[in-house]
Amino acid sequence: MSGVVRFTAAALRRRARPLGRLAGWSAAEALPALLAGQLTARAVDDGFLAGRPGTGLAWLAVLAVAVAVGAVGTNRAYARLGDVVEPFRDELAERVVTGALHRSTAAGARPETAAVARLTHQVEIVRDTFAGLVMVVRGFLFIAGAALLGLLSLTPVVAGVVAVPLVAGLVLFAAALPAMVGRQRDYVRADERLGEAAGAAFAGHRDVVACGAQQIVADRVGRQVGRQAEAEHALARMAALRSLSLSVGGWLPLAVLLLAAPWLVRRGLTAGAVLGALVYVATGLQPALHALVQGVAGGGLRFAVTLDRILHATTLPTGPATAGRAGAGSPPTAPPRPALAEPFTPQPAAGASVRPDAGTPSPGSAGAPLASGAAVTGSGVGPPGTGTAPARAELRGVTFRYGPRARPVLDGFDLTLPDGAHLAVVGPSGAGKSTLAGLLAGLLAPQAGTVLLGGTPVGAAEPAALARHRVLIPQEAYVFAGTLLDNLRYLRPDAPRNQVDAAVQRLGLLPLVRRLGGLTGTVHPTALSAGERQLVAAVRAYLSPAPLAILDEATCHLDPVAEATVEDAFGTRPGALVVVAHRISSALRARQVLILDGGRPLRGRHDDLLARSATYRELVGHWQGGDPVPAELTNS
Amino acid sequence: MAADGDRLLRADGNRLFRQAITYGGSWTVTLGAAALLGAAAELLLPAVLGLAVDAALGDADRWWPLAACGLVVLIVATDTLSNLAGGAGTARTTARLRHRLLGHLLALDPRRATRYPVGDLVGRLVGQAADSGQAGSTVVLGVTAALPPLGSVLALLLLDWRLAVTFGAGLLLLAAGLRAFVTDASAAAAGYLGVQGRIAGRLAEALHGARTIAAAGTVRAEIDRVLAPLPLLRAHGTRTWTTLARASGRTAAVAPLLQLAIVAVGGWSVADGRLTPGQLFAAVQYAALGAGLGSIVATLNRLIRTRAGTQRVATVLAEPPRSYGTAPLPAGTGRLVLSNVTVYGDDGRPVLDGIDLRVPPSATMAVVGPSGAGKSTLAAVAGRLRDPDAGEVLLDGIPLPRLSRSALRHAVGYGFERPVLIGDTIAEAITLGSDLGSGRQPDAGEATADERPDAEGASADQAPDTGQPTSEELAGSGLAGADGRLVAVARAAAIDEFVERLPDGYQSRLDATPMSGGEAQRLGLARAMHAHRLLILDDATSSLDTATEHRIAAAVAAHPDRRTRLVVTHRVATAAGADLVAWLDGGRLRVGPHRELWRDPAYRAVFAASTSPRTEPAQPAEPAQPAEPTEPTGPAEPTGPTGPAESAGSAGSAVEAVR
Repeated sequence: MSGVVRFTAAALRRRARPLGRLAGWSAAEALPALLAGQLTARAVDDGFLAGRPGTGLAWLAVLAVAVAVGAVGTNRAYARLGDVVEPFRDELAERVVTGALHRSTAAGARPETAAVARLTHQVEIVRDTFAGLVMVVRGFLFIAGAALLGLLSLTPVVAGVVAVPLVAGLVLFAAALPAMVGRQRDYVRADERLGEAAGAAFAGHRDVVACGAQQIVADRVGRQVGRQAEAEHALARMAALRSLSLSVGGWLPLAVLLLAAPWLVRRGLTAGAVLGALVYVATGLQPALHALVQGVAGGGLRFAVTLDRILHATTLPTGPATAGRAGAGSPPTAPPRPALAEPFTPQPAAGASVRPDAGTPSPGSAGAPLASGAAVTGSGVGPPGTGTAPARAELRGVTFRYGPRARPVLDGFDLTLPDGAHLAVVGPSGAGKSTLAGLLAGLLAPQAGTVLLGGTPVGAAEPAALARHRVLIPQEAYVFAGTLLDNLRYLRPDAPRNQVDAAVQRLGLLPLVRRLGGLTGTVHPTALSAGERQLVAAVRAYLSPAPLAILDEATCHLDPVAEATVEDAFGTRPGALVVVAHRISSALRARQVLILDGGRPLRGRHDDLLARSATYRELVGHWQGGDPVPAELTNS
Repeated sequence: MAADGDRLLRADGNRLFRQAITYGGSWTVTLGAAALLGAAAELLLPAVLGLAVDAALGDADRWWPLAACGLVVLIVATDTLSNLAGGAGTARTTARLRHRLLGHLLALDPRRATRYPVGDLVGRLVGQAADSGQAGSTVVLGVTAALPPLGSVLALLLLDWRLAVTFGAGLLLLAAGLRAFVTDASAAAAGYLGVQGRIAGRLAEALHGARTIAAAGTVRAEIDRVLAPLPLLRAHGTRTWTTLARASGRTAAVAPLLQLAIVAVGGWSVADGRLTPGQLFAAVQYAALGAGLGSIVATLNRLIRTRAGTQRVATVLAEPPRSYGTAPLPAGTGRLVLSNVTVYGDDGRPVLDGIDLRVPPSATMAVVGPSGAGKSTLAAVAGRLRDPDAGEVLLDGIPLPRLSRSALRHAVGYGFERPVLIGDTIAEAITLGSDLGSGRQPDAGEATADERPDAEGASADQAPDTGQPTSEELAGSGLAGADGRLVAVARAAAIDEFVERLPDGYQSRLDATPMSGGEAQRLGLARAMHAHRLLILDDATSSLDTATEHRIAAAVAAHPDRRTRLVVTHRVATAAGADLVAWLDGGRLRVGPHRELWRDPAYRAVFAASTSPRTEPAQPAEPAQPAEPTEPTGPAEPTGPTGPAESAGSAGSAVEAVR
């Protein structure tokens, strides 16, 4: 909770000038509160009680003018409120977006979809309650201050006597505030947990009945109902505390004034002054304190609890936590990492990478066959002339596991991918195919071993430097609302138009381009089919300057013909290609196949694997045999 | 008809509202007493304050200030008590309503429950039950909150009729100011929400593409892109504040001017000797109290909301829950008979129309047919996931509705295409509703390779095939047995390796375990594996690769208990592997071995049609030259019974080998 105070204080300090203006108008707003008692006293003493109602009305007219000035002050104060509240909301929105994107792109992270609700719902609650809190607090400070000042001018003794219980009530309230925040937080959490538990139960109603678990599940959710009721009860007890502080700060001054009044009158206080003092206390101090307590205990608590949740949820990972992890998702505050060496070989000539002649066999397709099961080393697989270049990617003794007690997905795994390599990764779901893709891309850091891209370890590389070496196309294609051209040039903003055109042609995106009215047509990702989105992502990756392309089930929503077109295009693209296969046909197109099935990874050519691997025979066999349903190697 | 239903529902709502008022019990009574006393004290206070002022000025009894202090104490005490009793009573009422609603909802037939969207049901339980829970306090406060404002108008009238007239005129002005605000504000908010939605949409897009962004190293640029409309949002936001400013300026002037007018009119009366200074102060206070008339509208709104909430809770409570019989499971090996079963869809047309189906004990029957043919409905009826509208379903000779809930649960297990996993941990999700849940859960470390029971070990744990393990037997078999069976069912569903690779194994939290559709399917299968008589798989292996599906099919077939299997499938290999196939088409049912049905082109077309969206061109058996795009040779077609028959042979033999 101290984070909330710190964050709010810092935000207010940054808004010193708008706050100053707000204070100025608040002072104007407090003018009637300052004058009400005094002018009432004059109107009564000099006017109504003195038998001169005209004079009394004149004093009240002065007060009416003050009220008018105050109304202008209120108006302007609210108008200035935006200058304080809107930038505060901006900061929070930035924080939510920055945090969500950084954490969602961190090593091994899952997209944090809750951030969208945080942005639309929680940030708005904070904005509204923050505005309310600012208004209530400054309202109290100015109105109560003005009333005390007026009282001081009317009868200094009473001002002193009244100020003591007022301050005592405030102290009492402030002391109870942390407990109130705690109860409010419990209440909000209990509400959310109940909603989650009930949602899960109702969504699975069919399953609950199928398992005969109605009573068990009703008890499970019922426990949350009980906790919620406890939290609500605790909140009610806090309301009692609240009215206690109100009674001390608001009612006690009135009582003291009433009890002291006869004595004050005996000491020469006029009837008008007694009325004026009562006006200050009963229509100034008491309502101001009431508004403060109600406002803080209502919206204020919601503000504190919601802001606390946002701050907790958006705390960026600190430097040490990500040290030694892969470079992705490092916060902008982290010290810059050494850039990875530039790719060893110069970039392929631009024209070559987008040659539209689709039928050209990929370089090295007729190259020397690999010894069965041998490591895919540089010699013999790469196209002629690149044999001496360092491998595009290399895994050395890589071990990866998802938890300290989990079985390793990969254990001391070696892999070398030279130029011209075309490797398909197959295996049942959950065998670690995407993990391997993530390791190769430097998005996951192995517990042991090294991953090298272009001969340099990826561990310390900046994401941007990694992006020059490899391009990863995940299953969930990213298309953003914008022009198609911007989407396609995402990884290479300076890609010449003719290359974009050629790539569009080569990978079969032309129908979509036509439908959208050209490359400058606007794309709305939700208006595209999953396959079209994947095709956009494929063209984008094809245009990328990176020599290593990793397709992680990137074509699972494409029909087999379109998938073949895409894979063939990437097969002729200079550099190396890794395809995490969704269908077995991807393995047939590859020069090498790697089987991950939970046992020892096995690598070789299609024929060799047919002979040596039962898993592979099963995968291929089931698909080619009587089953007309193509074997979906994994599920999407 | 509809009007009658509406009236009945309203009557339900009224009855529940009355019940909800009593649910608060002693708290509501306390609240009523405290609120009534407090209102009276509040109404008396201005008059007594006035007398106290006059007393100070020497014109009244000198005890009046003390009386005023006494009233203040009373007000504070009753206010504190009202807050406590109101909150506690609402909490108690809400909890009772929620428990009742929860139990009722889960006891409904799934078919009835699914008429309500999940979000709607959660809304009723969390939102509307909370509204309804305020029934007691709303009624009590609705009565008492009106007393001080109404009383103060009367008091003003008693003090001086001129004051009452002045006050009435002022109130009208105040109301006009508030109404103008409501229209202004909603217009300004619309633009704001529009821009906010745009930013949220961009964030959602970027989160969806998180892996691409991570790989491309473009996080910074993405943040800028998402936040680009922020200045526009600020512009709209500022407009909402200026709208609010206009309205609050207006009300800020009206309320004090009203009081001022009271002072002016009252002062004139003081000058004329009609009022004392103390009464003038009392008038000012009564005017402030009278302005609380506006809050009566709020109270009315609350009452309306509470009534509406109660109505929505009552609507669901009026749905009849399903009932169970008391009969235990008779001896048998899972003979399933559907006799003249008819089920109507929501549109009133029959999905199943007078179906007769006999599934031999311990056999595997595949259910095939085009989508919409009623396969899932048949599966649902077969295990009493829903009751047929007409006809009977018998398991080992006893109609399903006569079975007790626990007998039904022991007998039948369901695997679904998209199972919903319920529980905190993987272990809880697998053991939901089964006896395995009672035991200690296995430790991930212990349950790994070294100690994983093989199929025989698992079967040794199971009860002999003569009967069904009763719950006593299962409890008596000890904790280690429950652990072993948990791993065994996970293994049978081919999900054991996945679970064991998780950081905490079977104790891994469900919400922290990302899983694919296939993994969820297999956990759902593991959950169903406890079934002793009838295992119903409703497309429950559709997301699995063929190899895994075969592994599961073998495990299902290898179950030591004799149990019947009903398997809804789209895959020809699964149909071929079954002992019998039930082919549903347009309300017609044909039963026979796959080999026989295969001669019918219409039967073959079922498999071709069901896979058409994913049809793949046939690939040559030999690997093509990798770089050459293979020529599409048209959609895949089953070329005859040979292929399936082969699969039938292999899978069928596995079944036979075990029997």
